[in-house]
Amino acid sequence: MRRRLIALLASGAFVGTSGAALAHHSFAMFDQNNPVDLEGTVQEFKYVSPHSFIFLQVKDKDGDTTVWNLEGVAPSALARAGWTSTTLKPGDEIKLTIQPLRSGAPGGQWNADKIKFKDGGPIAVTH
Amino acid sequence: MRGRAPIAAIALTASLALTYTDAQAFDESRYPDFMGQWKRPEGISNQWDTSKPVTKQQAPLTPEYQAIFEANLADQAAGGQGTDPTYTCIPDGMPRAMNVIFPMEIIIQPKVTHIIIEYLSMLRRIYTDGRDWPDDEEPSFMGYSIGKWIDEDGDGRYDVLEVETRDLKGPRAFDASGIPLHADNQTVVKERFYLDKANRNVLHDEVTTYDHALTHPWTVMKNYNRVANPRWVEAICAEGNQLVRIGTEIYMLSAEGMLMPAKKDQPPPDLKYFKQSRK
Repeated sequence: MRRRLIALLASGAFVGTSGAALAHHSFAMFDQNNPVDLEGTVQEFKYVSPHSFIFLQVKDKDGDTTVWNLEGVAPSALARAGWTSTTLKPGDEIKLTIQPLRSGAPGGQWNADKIKFKDGGPIAVTH
Repeated sequence: MRGRAPIAAIALTASLALTYTDAQAFDESRYPDFMGQWKRPEGISNQWDTSKPVTKQQAPLTPEYQAIFEANLADQAAGGQGTDPTYTCIPDGMPRAMNVIFPMEIIIQPKVTHIIIEYLSMLRRIYTDGRDWPDDEEPSFMGYSIGKWIDEDGDGRYDVLEVETRDLKGPRAFDASGIPLHADNQTVVKERFYLDKANRNVLHDEVTTYDHALTHPWTVMKNYNRVANPRWVEAICAEGNQLVRIGTEIYMLSAEGMLMPAKKDQPPPDLKYFKQSRK
């Protein structure tokens, strides 16, 4: 049991990214070791505490749409990196790498350094 | 009507006189420059002991609380929150607030020093008026703090603010990993705040925690850098918290406000208070 727990600690299972470091709760619910690439359309960008959210409409290969609930760092951190409440808008097409929910539900953790527009352009931020 | 003007003038003069007297009594030059915005150094994460890696804090926990901590790690690894209670948006409390997850400012006044931390606008009042400890203080997450200014080098200026904090309530953890403090909430926190001698834009807070979950007092050094051209961002956790606890389970809310599992194979909530249709 103790060896398994030590392994869990070493794997960063409960914390490991800048998002987790700035979280008001444990980010261990997101699988840091198996990132997923997503591409979709922003339904809503919630620039709120304690965590920002991107609700992303993702189409699967059958054309069905699932809304992914993607949690990121708070505006306190984003603002200091140049983000604002209008950096992302509904309708923006983006691609990003997320850490998915361990539960398998359509959710995960998004990171400001692993997101760009669908055409490859960077997300514009002002400083 | 004619009588009011002199009374008003007298009142105003008295008020200004009191203000001038207070200003004379409070000599700012005797205090260190703690003004401005203080934040964690770049590259330093949010763990309690920043001299050690996040995953190797080596907290001096008693066997009982080490077992609680390890059970917490297993729960977090499965997608839960373990013994980290702040997912409900309650304050970090002391001593965790001094992780300064988001920046803080320190305001020195004659009889009290305020520390305001951007996250949740957590507020600490450190009374420096020589008062005794109250015997009827209600416990709180931030506790009751009494401080004393120390002139260590005898140059007529204060260098160190020594602080003791008592009367804490829980639940509290040291950081997001869930290192627990004892459920009896008898924690005492002692601190020494002082500017770095070589760099006046570095603030040190030597924090010692006395708690029954620990085998011995745990001392860490917290360091903060002063920010030039600071900006402040409101951080109200309740505005967008997507975690909700129902019974003993913690769920996430989806974009449309529906419950989602946070753990694999997590059961749905118990609906025992809702009328169930009879088959």
